[in-house]
Amino acid sequence: MRALIFAAALSLVSLAGGTAVAQEGHPLKGSWIGTWEKNQAHGEDVLFVLNWDGKAITGVINPGTDDIKIKNATLDPDKWTVHFEADAKDKQGAITYVVDGKIENLAMHNRYITGTWKSQRGSGAFKIQRQ
Amino acid sequence: MRIITGALVAAVAVVVIAGTPGLAHHSVAAKFDEAKSQTLEGVVTLVDWRNPHVHVFMNVRGPKGEWVNWAVELASPIDLTDSGWNRDSVQPGDAVRVDGFVARNGSRQLWSNTMTLSRTGRQVLNVKPMQPPVPLAKRPTPMGPNGVPRLGALPGGVDGYWAFPSSTVLVENGVNVDIRPDGLLRNVADAPKVAPMQPWALSIYRNRQSRYLQDDPMFLNCKPPGGPRQFQQPYGFQFIEDPERQRIFVLIGSGNRNFRIIYLDGRSHVGQVGGDDDNPLYYGRAVGKWSGQTLEVDTRGFNEDFWFTNGGLPHTDQLRLIERFTRVDFDTLRYDVTIEDPGAYTRPWSSGWTLRWVGGAELPVHFCQDNRP
Repeated sequence: MRALIFAAALSLVSLAGGTAVAQEGHPLKGSWIGTWEKNQAHGEDVLFVLNWDGKAITGVINPGTDDIKIKNATLDPDKWTVHFEADAKDKQGAITYVVDGKIENLAMHNRYITGTWKSQRGSGAFKIQRQ
Repeated sequence: MRIITGALVAAVAVVVIAGTPGLAHHSVAAKFDEAKSQTLEGVVTLVDWRNPHVHVFMNVRGPKGEWVNWAVELASPIDLTDSGWNRDSVQPGDAVRVDGFVARNGSRQLWSNTMTLSRTGRQVLNVKPMQPPVPLAKRPTPMGPNGVPRLGALPGGVDGYWAFPSSTVLVENGVNVDIRPDGLLRNVADAPKVAPMQPWALSIYRNRQSRYLQDDPMFLNCKPPGGPRQFQQPYGFQFIEDPERQRIFVLIGSGNRNFRIIYLDGRSHVGQVGGDDDNPLYYGRAVGKWSGQTLEVDTRGFNEDFWFTNGGLPHTDQLRLIERFTRVDFDTLRYDVTIEDPGAYTRPWSSGWTLRWVGGAELPVHFCQDNRP
C-alpha cells in the first residue's frame, strides 16, 4: 500500500513536470520523494525533508516514528553535487547511509537528485524529486 | 512575401530599428534571442490587443511557398497607447514588414518594437520612450497635518503616483557593474560584485543569468514583484494614506494590481491580518514609523515564491528589509533599502534610487495574465 502511495505521488510529480515553475530559495529546501533501489533494510521508497538555516543543511529521512536524522549534508554549488550521511538501525544493528548525487533540472521547482546510496547492507541507485 | 533570413546587413539594420527592447513585463532576452534577427513580410491575420503584450499574427510564405502563421510580440497596450496607437492601427488584411528577434525555443514568434505598412511605408506600433513629467518649478515637500510629509496625493487634490525609478536594477550601493535595465549582466563574471551572496546564492544567480532570466516567476506565473522590485516596475506605484487607521496602502502598478499595507500603529510582526509565521507573504509584513522626514519600514515574513529583483538575486524566508522613504521635494521620492538575509547573503547590504512624481493621473492599468506570453 505504501508503495502504491509513493507511486501515485511520483506519477503526480511526473504529470506536473510540464508545468513551468521556477526554482526559489535554497535549492535543497523542501520535501523530496523518490527511491533508493535495492534497499532491503528500509524499503526502496524514500522521503527526504530538508531545510537550510543559512549555515547548514539539516533534515530527516522518512519522517515518523522510525525516522532517520541526517547528520551531515553538504552541497557543492559549483557542481551542484550533494552528499548526505545518516545513521539508522535495522534488525541487524546500526547502519550508516551515505548518499552522493547531483541536482538536476536546477532551475525548476520539481528538480531532482540522482546518484547512489550505500551502507553496510548494500548499495544502489538513488533518485528523489522535489515536491 | 517571403522569409528573409538574417544576413549581416539585415542584422545591423534590425538592431538599429528594433533598438534596445522596450519595457516589458519580462526580460525580452528571456524569450527572444537578440543575436538572431529575422525579417518577416506577410499579411496580418489577427491583432490581439491585450496585456501584458500586444501580439500581431501574420501569414508569411514558408520556404516551400506554403502559408505559415507567425506571432509578433510587441510592447504593452499601455506603452503603445501612450505612443498614439490603438487596436485599429494595424488591421487584418494589412500587408506588413517586421524586423525583430526570433524566439529562443524555435517557435514562430518574433519580438519587435515596430512594423511597417507595405502599401505606405509608414512605421506603426513603434514605442516612444515614456518620459517623466518636467515640473515647472521646484516645489516643497507637501506636509500632512501631523507634521510629516505626505507620500501620496494631497487630500482633496488630484491623484498621482510614483514612477520613473532612477535605477531599474538592484545592485549594492557603490558597486559599478555593467547591467542592462532588465537585470541582465552584460558579463556574468561580474555576478559576485552585485551583492554579497553566499556561494549557493551566487551559483543560483549565475544560473538564472545564464538562462536569460527565463525562470522569473513574474514572467512564468505572474507572481508579484515583492521586495524592492515593486519600486522598480515600469508602471510605478501609488501611496494611499489612511491616517485614521494608521496605515498606508502601496498599490503596485504592474503585475496584478497587488497592494501592500504598511502599518504605523506600532504593532508587532506576528499575527497581522493576512499573514503570520505560517503564512509568509509576497510583500511580507510591514511595520513603519516616521523618523524625522523619513518613513522607516521594517518588513519581514516573506515567502520564497518570487524574485525580489528583476536580475534574479535569490532570497530565503529569512529576508528582512529596512526601507526608508523620503519625499525630498514635491516631485522626488528617495527610496533606500537595506537587505538582511542570512540565508542567502554574507552580510546586510544596501541600495537606493529616486522616483518621480506623476501628478494628476491614476496608475496605468496593466495586468499580467497567466498563460499569456
